[in-house]
Amino acid sequence: MTLAPNTYTDIPYEEKAKLIEEVMADHRYGEHLYGCYECGICVAACPSARFYDFSPRKIAQAAARQDVELMYEQMNDDVWNCSQCFSCTRCPRGNNPGGIITVLREVAVRNGLASARDALEGYGRVVYKIMSTGTQVSPDMLQPNAFPDWGPHVKAISDNVETWRKALPPETLHTTSTAWNVDEKTIIELYLIWQATGVMDMIGEVDEGLHMILEDVMEDVLDEAGYET
Amino acid sequence: MAKDVLIVGGGPAGLHAARNIADIGGNAILVEQRDVLGGTPDEARYAALTPHLESAQDALDEMRAAVIDRPEIDLRLGSTVLESSGKAGDFKVSVAKNGGEAEQLDVGSVILTTGFQHFDPGRETQMYGYYENPDVITLVDAEKMLSKHEFVRPSNGEKPERVAFIQCVGSRDRRLGNEYCSKVCCGIASKEAIEIRKLLPDTKVYIFYIDMRMYGYWENQLYWPAQEEHNVIYVRGIVTEILKRGDRLLMKGEDTTMGRPMEVEMDVIVLSVGMEPSAGTREMARVFDIEKNKYGFIHTPGEPMDPVSTSVPGVYVAGAAAGPKDIEDSIGMASAAAMKALAMVRSAG
Repeated sequence: MTLAPNTYTDIPYEEKAKLIEEVMADHRYGEHLYGCYECGICVAACPSARFYDFSPRKIAQAAARQDVELMYEQMNDDVWNCSQCFSCTRCPRGNNPGGIITVLREVAVRNGLASARDALEGYGRVVYKIMSTGTQVSPDMLQPNAFPDWGPHVKAISDNVETWRKALPPETLHTTSTAWNVDEKTIIELYLIWQATGVMDMIGEVDEGLHMILEDVMEDVLDEAGYET
Repeated sequence: MAKDVLIVGGGPAGLHAARNIADIGGNAILVEQRDVLGGTPDEARYAALTPHLESAQDALDEMRAAVIDRPEIDLRLGSTVLESSGKAGDFKVSVAKNGGEAEQLDVGSVILTTGFQHFDPGRETQMYGYYENPDVITLVDAEKMLSKHEFVRPSNGEKPERVAFIQCVGSRDRRLGNEYCSKVCCGIASKEAIEIRKLLPDTKVYIFYIDMRMYGYWENQLYWPAQEEHNVIYVRGIVTEILKRGDRLLMKGEDTTMGRPMEVEMDVIVLSVGMEPSAGTREMARVFDIEKNKYGFIHTPGEPMDPVSTSVPGVYVAGAAAGPKDIEDSIGMASAAAMKALAMVRSAG
């Protein structure tokens, strides 16, 4: 049942309904959604709403309506505009639109939705960086083409990144390919956590190539560290 | 001098005023045009009272029992007040059993509890097709079904899959002349929506509104539970038109949340009709020559500190004869009016 026009006509209703059922069955869902009276405090507090066509109020409202078409539409579009800062939790009804988005995103990723792949494409190198160095962003990644939203000064900084780097405390080792030094044990533990909690499976759903590379790299690291693989 | 207080109208306010007067040692004459007591809640077969959903008939039975067979209360059922003369402390009113001869009564003061009538959605505009589509009903029609513990599509007796309430029908509308909020419809629609969801758990129930007005504790007695426990769906935006499509109703409106027009099919549409002055209220304003406000309800010039005195000394009003009221308002006003009416009789005596 929906009040919205069907914007994804090529996807059968049952398929959308199944995904939304998966969202509503999530154990966190009940505490993220009470009722919405359209006060708009979540939108007023939302940084993303200032820059994108995005409204946490619409997320809460669609969820309260259990509107399959609308929620599917949002799962493919709106949810990727959220920065997950949870400013929206100042809701007087106790709603957590950002939390609903967390669940919608996870279901989108678990089910390999094309929108999830597109939205997360840029994060492949971040994930790879974490697994290979233990830090998610390094100074040499700060290129104007990768971060256009960082403003006009990004080029000046990236051109002189080695000089800037030397001005920072020695814990950074003054390198530009890592943010700081991370112990290999930490990287191994992070990988094992990702495996145990399903993060690796999620990566597999959105980027099969990256998943393969990570497994290859980590298999060697684990072997060398004496883990049975 | 006359010792009796005349009460016109045997609904909740009239019943409560009569009981109060008797309880504090006065005498009341209660005139009711129907042959039974209980007023609009009885006549319209209200199922459950807002906000606690207890049985309306049980509540009325308790109120009726408190006035029947009491020596201090002279019950005149099936009767109407025809004319009045005199002044505070000394009114002469003629009361007739319907179709019978008029009797002259001496009363010291008067309480009007003649109530309201539900807005007739086909009165001036056929916008929602109330008289054309059997599946377009009012809160009152829904209440009648719910009092029998059922809710069906009137056109075919089948279970509806989708039900929509439209708020503010006949209220807050300059074109109709009813600029006021009828105050109780948001609560009653939410209450009925909860009842429908309890009866028919697979039925989707929508409420389309301008702004929900559930003041005070109604907020979490009705509004929040309707949303949070019973999944009633509230959508901000009012419907402009209802058309027939196949055997369903096509509703056109704006989904203001999503900022786009909306066309959606429903099985039953409930119009949340507001309050207008009843014929009895208009007639008593004439009989006692009291001022009405611009909407035809009885004017209460002493508001806010005195909500029950009218423009004529010795004539008081309680309940929805003075404008949209819920039952709590009506009961409170009835006690206030009883006190003033009895004080008037005693000071005159």
